[in-house]
Amino acid sequence: MSSHREAPEISKDPVADSTDVYAFVSPDKPGTVTLIANYIPLQEPAGGPNFYEFGDDVLYEIHVDNDGDGKSDITYQFRFETKLTTPDSFLYNTGPIGSLSDPSWNSKQFYKVTRVDKSGSHVLARKLACPPCNVGVLSTPDYEAKLGRPAVHSLGSHGKVFAGQRAEEFYVDLGSIFDLGNLRPLEQFNVFGKAHGLKSAPGVNASNRLNVHSIALQVPISRLTGKGRPTIGVWTSASRQRARVHAGADTASFVSGPFTQVSRLGNPLFNEVIVPLGDKDHWNRVRPADDKQFAKYVAHPELAGLLPVLYPGAFPHLAALDKARTARADLEAILLTGIPSGIIKGFTNFTGTVQADMLRLNTSIPPTPASSKKFSILGLIGGDPAGFPNGRRVTDDVVTIELRAIAGATVPLVDPKYVVDAVVANVTDGLTGTSVKNQPLTAFPYLGVPYDGYHNPS
Amino acid sequence: MPGHDDTSPPASRAADDRETPHRLSRRSVLRGAAGAGVAGIAATALAGAAVPAFAATARPPAGAARGAESGTTHEDTAEQVVVHVRDARSGEIDVFRGTSQTRVRDPELAARLLRASR
Repeated sequence: MSSHREAPEISKDPVADSTDVYAFVSPDKPGTVTLIANYIPLQEPAGGPNFYEFGDDVLYEIHVDNDGDGKSDITYQFRFETKLTTPDSFLYNTGPIGSLSDPSWNSKQFYKVTRVDKSGSHVLARKLACPPCNVGVLSTPDYEAKLGRPAVHSLGSHGKVFAGQRAEEFYVDLGSIFDLGNLRPLEQFNVFGKAHGLKSAPGVNASNRLNVHSIALQVPISRLTGKGRPTIGVWTSASRQRARVHAGADTASFVSGPFTQVSRLGNPLFNEVIVPLGDKDHWNRVRPADDKQFAKYVAHPELAGLLPVLYPGAFPHLAALDKARTARADLEAILLTGIPSGIIKGFTNFTGTVQADMLRLNTSIPPTPASSKKFSILGLIGGDPAGFPNGRRVTDDVVTIELRAIAGATVPLVDPKYVVDAVVANVTDGLTGTSVKNQPLTAFPYLGVPYDGYHNPS
Repeated sequence: MPGHDDTSPPASRAADDRETPHRLSRRSVLRGAAGAGVAGIAATALAGAAVPAFAATARPPAGAARGAESGTTHEDTAEQVVVHVRDARSGEIDVFRGTSQTRVRDPELAARLLRASR
């Protein structure tokens, strides 16, 4: 998936597992940027009686680098606290939940937002309420009007914030892709698919009807960018305190020590697809500023070597490129430095020579209206400069974009003589945003209404 | 910025998530560690009190904030320390308290902690 369960250690710690990061100029408020960090992957909506919630012992952060050094210049920190209304009950709620303060909602979660920047640490808000999980029609009727929308809180001149359950909007044919690199639309050409007699088929969205927990901010652009530098680098991280003593029969558990990073995410699929298994946990512990050590995996991605093997004869030019051990300067630019000016007419999101995995957003590029002919879920490679890898919008098809880029679609950016293999235009897992049942909202926090357990029991 | 594993809090960490590094006396560490019955390399202790760690913690009061993970409030955990003997021979010891980590080198203390754990 984008970064769901992408590394061995974090796959066992879902509360701290970052799954997706989005950063885009808000289409309905173009003077602001929306930053979204998702956690707790693959939530079955019928997850009771202990429904999903953020970790009270996790430090969640959204980072912004505005001077290109791969280090955070602005950090938004989120700390959560769970409070039980009726500790003697095993139930999440003892009646319909009609508001964020409803006493029949037993397990409430609140949070504090802190902004850390060069001027110091500033608490922007305390005791903000999260919405409950979407339990079902009896427990959480009229969810969005009574619980979802009221959980959007103002931060005054700093914008607005939301933290809570949302519908998973990332779409991917996970069941096929990790079955030996199979892409259903092309499975008749997959070396193993051919042996099984498979025929071309549409993609199946493995993350449909699942929920995530989202932390979303909408911030005035002027509060994020540096002077004369419209491009920002964005990533999220989750940290835990270093020491932990588990509860015994006669002791409570506790945690102690400084926070240490256990998860991070900038570009989708970076750790999942680029970084090898033996380095994934290490990658999760370091900062983008230290990503030079991983640049070799970007320059020579394993998947680029596998595609010609899995699809014999379909990628002759990619195979030649791989055989010649040609470093993929196109991918290094897209994922590690941003694309310098002069390569794509009128576009750049270059942040400097420091190689760092960050989602780079040029905030001076206006949002493309969804109704515009120019709008493309393929983002930049689809001719739409407001989409990935210029930041990332909720509906961008990052799986197809990255598959095609790795398959050679972006090599001509750095080598105009390179001829892209004809099949690349058809490389896809066969999905679009229409494969998501609960569609994104048109306003903040943009991610759709979470699926309820009653209608989505499995 | 946060994001790397080191022994000191990141420079720009929010004040709420930082604590000023502090030193613990050998006496207080030993008192707590011995009482807790250290298991080889790690010990828990109630700072400054000669009581076993298990006696110093309690289930949360009904209706209280659930706090960090299950069972304790943030206030409770700030009063406890974890001692990690990284290398008994060199006496390298990490002491975790609140959101701070202090590294000390004290072979004698490390040896006494090991003895107490047996």
